[in-house]
Amino acid sequence: MDKDIRNDPFVLRRYVVLASKNLRRRPGRTALTVAGVALAVGVAVSLGGFMLGYRGAMEKSINMLGFQIMIMAKGCPYEAATMMLKGGTGLLYLPADTYDKVKSDTDIESITPIFVGVAEKQGSSIRDEESASNFVIINGIDAPSYQVMKPWLAFKKGPGYAGGRWFSPEDKDEVVIGFEAAEYEQRKVGDTFYASITPKGKPDPVMHQFKVVGVLERTGTQDDGTVFMPLNVARDYFNRPNQLTILGIKLKEFSSAKMGDFENRWLALPEVQVVGLQQVKSTLLNLVATAQTMIAAVTVIAVIVALLGVINTILMSVYERTAEIGIMKALGARRSGIFELIWLETLVMCLGGALIGSVLAVVSARLVEKAIKSLADLGVQGSIVQITPALIGYAVLGAVVLGFFGGLYPAWRASSMRPVDAISRGV
Amino acid sequence: MNVSEIIIEAHGLKRYYRRGSETVKAVNGVDLSIRTGEIVSILGPSGSGKTTLINLLSCLDAPTEGTLTVAGKSVAGLSEDELVEVRRGILGFVFQQFSLLPTLTVTENVELPLMFLGRRTNPQRTAEVLKTIGLSDRASHLPRELSGGQMQRVAIARALIVDPKILVADEPTGNLDKATGESIIALFKRLAAEKGLAILITTHNTVFGYETDRAITLEDGRILKQEDLRRGTSSSGLAAAEQKEV
Repeated sequence: MDKDIRNDPFVLRRYVVLASKNLRRRPGRTALTVAGVALAVGVAVSLGGFMLGYRGAMEKSINMLGFQIMIMAKGCPYEAATMMLKGGTGLLYLPADTYDKVKSDTDIESITPIFVGVAEKQGSSIRDEESASNFVIINGIDAPSYQVMKPWLAFKKGPGYAGGRWFSPEDKDEVVIGFEAAEYEQRKVGDTFYASITPKGKPDPVMHQFKVVGVLERTGTQDDGTVFMPLNVARDYFNRPNQLTILGIKLKEFSSAKMGDFENRWLALPEVQVVGLQQVKSTLLNLVATAQTMIAAVTVIAVIVALLGVINTILMSVYERTAEIGIMKALGARRSGIFELIWLETLVMCLGGALIGSVLAVVSARLVEKAIKSLADLGVQGSIVQITPALIGYAVLGAVVLGFFGGLYPAWRASSMRPVDAISRGV
Repeated sequence: MNVSEIIIEAHGLKRYYRRGSETVKAVNGVDLSIRTGEIVSILGPSGSGKTTLINLLSCLDAPTEGTLTVAGKSVAGLSEDELVEVRRGILGFVFQQFSLLPTLTVTENVELPLMFLGRRTNPQRTAEVLKTIGLSDRASHLPRELSGGQMQRVAIARALIVDPKILVADEPTGNLDKATGESIIALFKRLAAEKGLAILITTHNTVFGYETDRAITLEDGRILKQEDLRRGTSSSGLAAAEQKEV
């Protein structure tokens, strides 16, 4: 650093002011360059926010399944896990006696049987909407053990929701509805809910009428879009007595060794697979990471293009101001002073672009989230774009570091000019 | 005012360039001395070496040969970085194109060299300099709001703000009309008389050139003649140089 700038902040301030004013000499060009940096940083922050948010939402969704291990019919475990996260069809069912066999395992702290079926909604006030799905996921559950697995489940309160409760095991006409399903269907406690269920082996669906006895608070998981009914009732309606889709299990001690032992014990059962959600989580996150790496590569390219734009702008500015730089040297500017002036111009441009880009990213975060969700069903609930102060800090710092290096060449070019040559060339 | 102090002294000053296979002798053996309080004009046709000589005398360029002392410092053989240190605070520059920064106000332009010298601005001092050149009422104007003559005055104020001992003006009246040019020369005279500045001017305009204390006429990089315009005496530098070469 030039010793005059180093010794006196007042002088440094004047250099910064001069650099800023120099950039205003070509406002259009500067604005376009800053816009390029802003766009690149905005994209970087948005995608960074998406990476953070989606990872967080995915982890939350998996963690809020409540269990550490799932036992399910043989098939693709990730498909099954995804189905648990976002719903789906093509369900496979466990053999009838699996639950009785597994529940006696001494390593188990708690276990909950779940039957999953898909029903057609009837009587929905907005079901004719083009984008609306006419299907709903029905979870037949054992309410007490399900609550043990998911202690955070609570009933919505307030007008129209008072008195929410779980059904008893044999109530054939009572359901509990998740937060979003209730919002979408505009159902409150005491309302009627209709669903058409096609029993196994029957060609035609049968319409059932249920009374909503409780609406759940939002959980940010697939439970929000699910309709719950007693396990045996659901199995009866789907004509799949004694069948289950999933056994959700929590172990007394959750470790790789215990998990391995447990897996080995129960893999011996035919037509059954044991899936650790930790394993599912890491595999799904790895898949996400692969996609995110590609997105990051695109972002890096955008940032590099923006940086080249900055270098080009500053170089053009240096060439245009050749005589002026020579005159500054004649007026007493040292080589280091010119170097830092041009360097500051680059940094001011990058910093300005980074700040504008960050603000844009924050302002448009919800829009980006909406756009991403409209393009792809990501299988997670809740916010998937999470822009944190740290993320913005890194983006701004990154832009400044790039400007730091990007400014080196133009600054070196300018500072290396001999005043005599610069003045005569520029005149 | 002490006018006898020599502020610039050159002996056998040469500046050669390579242009392809050819050696251009832009300045080819110049001896001269300039005193404080003296206005010296350097005259001559294009290509005679005026600008090269003034660049050497003002430490913007280094001589190929010869000795040069500026404000008591020997500058021959100094590097570009060392020449900057000699220039800082001793020399003030005025250029034909004015070369003001368009986004800075008159005040900011005038104070610009202070920034490069690492000095703080002093509003009183700036106001005093602007008053000296008669532009107090234009302090907050931008260059585009000024006439050519006013811009040249700002450039002079910018040179004066550092209290230089030597003011170097390369074609200062080149872009000005006759009346404005005359007012600039009058200003130089006043500055030399009041502040004891040594002022070096290159000009094509012999009328302005002969308004100074001494006129040095160059031809082919050598002094053709030196005329002391206060005393009305003249000497042929070229003849002396030729004798030296023989």
